[in-house]
Amino acid sequence: MTASLADVPRLLAVAISAAALGAGALTLLVTRRPSLALAVLLDLLLAAGLLRLGSDPGWQAIAVAAALVGLRRVIGAGLRVGGRSWARAPSAPGPGRSSRADLRQLLTPTWRR
Amino acid sequence: MEELLVDVVNVLVVLVEACAAAVIIIGAVWAFALFVWVGIRRRDAGAFVPVRLMLGRFLVLGLEFQLASDVLRTAVAPSFRELGQLAAVAAIRTALNYFLSKEIAEERRQVAEEGEDDRREAGPPSGTAGRGRTS
Repeated sequence: MTASLADVPRLLAVAISAAALGAGALTLLVTRRPSLALAVLLDLLLAAGLLRLGSDPGWQAIAVAAALVGLRRVIGAGLRVGGRSWARAPSAPGPGRSSRADLRQLLTPTWRR
Repeated sequence: MEELLVDVVNVLVVLVEACAAAVIIIGAVWAFALFVWVGIRRRDAGAFVPVRLMLGRFLVLGLEFQLASDVLRTAVAPSFRELGQLAAVAAIRTALNYFLSKEIAEERRQVAEEGEDDRREAGPPSGTAGRGRTS
């Protein structure tokens, strides 16, 4: 009984991780903003990591939580510096714009444009 | 006497951690449902921000509970190895709490600024509001 109770947060953490992937994908599809989708994904993944850290405070869970915190900071800083989106592209000529141009726009660093 | 204290603290730790887990689970499930609803019904990037703010507040509250349980646990940690793990977990949670609070304040400021810009663009004579975002 005790073991099964201890497993509940772990199972819920897995469920929330799956929900994070779903919410991130939905956000990307709807808004076409990778930065926002990534933020949504990381927020829910962080909730899952905190649950896992509460149920099993071993070194691996600690390392995963620390990595998540660091990743959130690094990715957040990177996205704030070079924020861009599929929705608003300054060089968009019109409706005939290809997805290849979208991809190039996303992958080109801001300082090279 | 000491064993009784250890037992009482262990029960309290379990209770406080259960509260933390409940807060985080409720916040995550509610935020997920709102993300899906906003994604399907409103399809506006700005509508995701208040949901993220709400999830952040839930996470901060859950972290406060978890930190409380860490403090309780230090009373009965018997070995240096356990104390080391406890210190690492508490450090991570404190750092996360700090960064999350900063992010929430920053996003709230951005939402307020965008609302201000929308109102300015709408202008006084037209009287039509922009997107009408609330935090």
